[in-house]
Amino acid sequence: MKSSALVFLTAFMALSASWGGFVLAPQIQLGRNAQAKTVPAGDLYPVARPGLANQGADVYRALGCVHCHSQQVRQDGVKCELVLTDAGTNTTATLAALGKLKPGLATAETLSGLPKTLMPLADMNAADPLLKVITGAGAKAEVHVTPTGPDIARQWGRRHTVAQDYVFDSPVQPGTRRAGPDLANVGARFPDRNWHLRHLYAPLAEVANSTMPPYRFLFEKRPVGSGPVPDALALPAGFAAEPGFEIVPTDAARALAAYLVSLRADSPLFEAPVTLPPAPATTAAK
Amino acid sequence: MSNGTQSMWNALDGEPTATLKAVPQWLIVAMLLLFLGSAVYFDARGGWFEPKVYGPYNSLANVESFQPPPPSGPDLNRGRKVFEATCSLCHNSDGAGKPALAPPLAGSDWVNTAGVNRLIRIPLLGFAPGPITVSGQTYDFPAGMTAFGSLSDDDIAAVLSYIRKLWGNNASPVTAEQVHAVRVEIGNRTQPNTVEELKSLPE
Amino acid sequence: MTAPPSNPPSAIDASCRLPLFGLFGGAAVCLALASGFGLIASLSFHKASLFADCAMLSYGRAYPAWSHLLVYGFCVPAGLGAGLWLLARLGRVEVAKPWLIAFGAKLWNLGVLVGLIGILAGDASGFEWFEMPRYAVIILLAAFLIITLCAFITHYGRSRRHEEADSPSGTEARFVTSEPTLYPSQWFVVAALFWFPWIFTTAGWLLHYFQVRGVVQVAVGWWYAGNLLNVWLPLTGLAATFYLLPKITGRPLQSQYLALFAFLTLVVFGTWTGMPAHAPLPAWMPTLSGGASLLALVPALAVVASAILTCRGSNVACLGGPLCYAKFGVVSFAVSSLLIALTACPLISRVTDFTWFNHGHATLRLYGFFVMTMTGAAYYILPRVSGIEICANRVRANFWLFVIGTLLFTLPLVAGGVTQGAKLLDPSILFLDTAKPAMMAFRMSTLGEVLIAAGSGLFLFNVLAVMAAWYRSVCRQAFANATARLETAEAQS
Repeated sequence: MKSSALVFLTAFMALSASWGGFVLAPQIQLGRNAQAKTVPAGDLYPVARPGLANQGADVYRALGCVHCHSQQVRQDGVKCELVLTDAGTNTTATLAALGKLKPGLATAETLSGLPKTLMPLADMNAADPLLKVITGAGAKAEVHVTPTGPDIARQWGRRHTVAQDYVFDSPVQPGTRRAGPDLANVGARFPDRNWHLRHLYAPLAEVANSTMPPYRFLFEKRPVGSGPVPDALALPAGFAAEPGFEIVPTDAARALAAYLVSLRADSPLFEAPVTLPPAPATTAAK
Repeated sequence: MSNGTQSMWNALDGEPTATLKAVPQWLIVAMLLLFLGSAVYFDARGGWFEPKVYGPYNSLANVESFQPPPPSGPDLNRGRKVFEATCSLCHNSDGAGKPALAPPLAGSDWVNTAGVNRLIRIPLLGFAPGPITVSGQTYDFPAGMTAFGSLSDDDIAAVLSYIRKLWGNNASPVTAEQVHAVRVEIGNRTQPNTVEELKSLPE
Repeated sequence: MTAPPSNPPSAIDASCRLPLFGLFGGAAVCLALASGFGLIASLSFHKASLFADCAMLSYGRAYPAWSHLLVYGFCVPAGLGAGLWLLARLGRVEVAKPWLIAFGAKLWNLGVLVGLIGILAGDASGFEWFEMPRYAVIILLAAFLIITLCAFITHYGRSRRHEEADSPSGTEARFVTSEPTLYPSQWFVVAALFWFPWIFTTAGWLLHYFQVRGVVQVAVGWWYAGNLLNVWLPLTGLAATFYLLPKITGRPLQSQYLALFAFLTLVVFGTWTGMPAHAPLPAWMPTLSGGASLLALVPALAVVASAILTCRGSNVACLGGPLCYAKFGVVSFAVSSLLIALTACPLISRVTDFTWFNHGHATLRLYGFFVMTMTGAAYYILPRVSGIEICANRVRANFWLFVIGTLLFTLPLVAGGVTQGAKLLDPSILFLDTAKPAMMAFRMSTLGEVLIAAGSGLFLFNVLAVMAAWYRSVCRQAFANATARLETAEAQS
């Protein structure tokens, strides 16, 4: 090239193109996301973390947990299934309707052990005529949407993580390495904060053969006063302090445990449809 | 411009020079093939810049085809939320009512009705001050009941279905269509209900 | 030890001495320190409880310290140093304001130190390849802008000189259109000097000072990392490669158009890489990055073709000297570009996501391509700017330590990552059973890290030896001048 002005111009155009594509465009598309509504219930998602969990997010960042743990769930595909939930009062009509859907289904065995998966579907649009047939016979059926993938099969989440899951995180740390398991839904897998505290102090106490380093500097070893404090860790033999001493978490450990317990990303959204198993029914208003 | 291996610069001071050999053809072909592959890949999986399309879905229509249908049965969760936010202030969270504010809903004969026509008019228009008999007990509320016509059809249907299923009540749910039909009947009316007027209407 | 100065450096080279001592000296120290922190980080995997009571040396802080020291402590200053020298040499002009550049180098080192302390204290940002806390960002940016300013003044000083030398007297000399005046290395350096401030300012602004909301943070962070690793490092590394290969072999670079093709495809396609395939971003972003990663193979192929054609038919044996470093750098650049392009394919990225594979190809690019090329450039440049020869045996030893260390470091990680990923895909295999078998690969890679640490130590020793020998020669010269003056004064009296 003859002039450095041309070099400069080429570099400018190339960099401004990718700046527009990967800095400006995401900001326009995603930068003003606030809470979204789940489908179909219409609840607001995500809910802001309580104060201690927010402090815990800062501890997570300061300790560099992101270099071993990821916080994102991948999804390979999605499964759509027709599920019979109620056989209705007229079983003969129901069986006839089932027979119309698929010959092999019209057996008494299909009606036992409800809810029962009847058949896979391509998507919701394919379900409408089938649902009409079943409800016409007085029975009830639902369509269940289940994401599939190795992360989901490992129970690390129910659906892939999307931008909406990180709206209130600062900084957002989805991670790029899994030296340890994924943490996007660890609050659903291990909802007990005491488990997290014990695991942070001595991972081998909770997970056999764990490769995670112990974080003993997050805890204090104190002599027991008149009695153990409520916060003291209840560790198994071999990991507990010697008699007369107790292990007490510092504020940082408590905050980190609160943060880990708050990590969940399985609400159904428009961009991440999933049918969750039914929550326990609310019986009393109190 | 000369081609071949003739240098462009004079090698005056030992600094390197560059020849004018053309870019080999295979490289240009490779670039075009890779570009084609990338374009096909983007078309198949890129979602065409839609912000709501995440892998593995590949288009907005694909995502929409997996959206759940709106719930068909009564949404008791929603009803509970509306009740706690709006009604429980006077009727109390356990539906037992508050003295001088509102009658009980638990076991109320106004709630456990077969038809829903009268019941729907109550939140839509409220009650004028005056005595009211609920399940054999007479109450007198000097302030009557506020109208809550600003709630949506879905919210009113949800909260009525909720109170008809709780605290020992067991009546059929209320649908948004039924609420809408009553709203159309009422029209622009803002005058609250009276007990006599409601009793004259079909249940 | 080092021989006394043989040929005194030319005026251009001598003007570069002060800034390059500052830039390469600081870079060598940081490279050695980075290796130290890398070893500390790896130790956490070999014995998990080693740093259980020490927050500062735990993996979560030692690993960002390693990446910070490597990229900002070594890569950027070494790239700047080589780039400055190339602009001066190819522009046939002395470097502008060497004392200001040396000040900028010291300021940069201060920023790196402040960033390191911040990371070890727990202020790391959490964004990979941009770990420094916000207070270090300003210092580093100021230092880079100072050095860039001087570099642009140097480069601008070039064009007037060339035109004045060529133009016949009395005619308008402003526009010379008969001959191009820029050698490919100059385009690469000018583009690199422009590139870094923009991406660094964007990342610093949007991630620290006016933090964007939600997942846009990771989009910006990955855009920055992609531009840093896949555009800026290749720009500065290839500038040195395109100079060293023809200069040492004595053959002309083959060819100008191939270099132009490599430059254009690098800046146009490389800048769109960066988003991993599994990102929690709308599908169009990782897909665009995947396509760009595929296309980023093209500049790698162009560079390999150019290197092969340039070196073919030359009888110069490299003997572990800067030519060997440059050649190994080209090979590593091509292989790491190939690995990145492979991850663009969704079938492959399913297996390699979240494994050691990504760490493997990133370190192949960093150590195998950039550190090697810059070390070779340093071994070529420093003797010329100071007049001090470096012992060829030490240079060769450094070469083999780095080569074997890099191969042992990166290849087991790449292979181990693939097996780890294949196991992660099978949900019936417990997670711990996927992590443990990767430990064998990790042990080999730690051995590679030890060799790289030894090589870094040797590089630091060589650089310090050059500087020490130069200072010694200056002192000796000053002493000789003083005694000569005394003798003449005595003879006269």
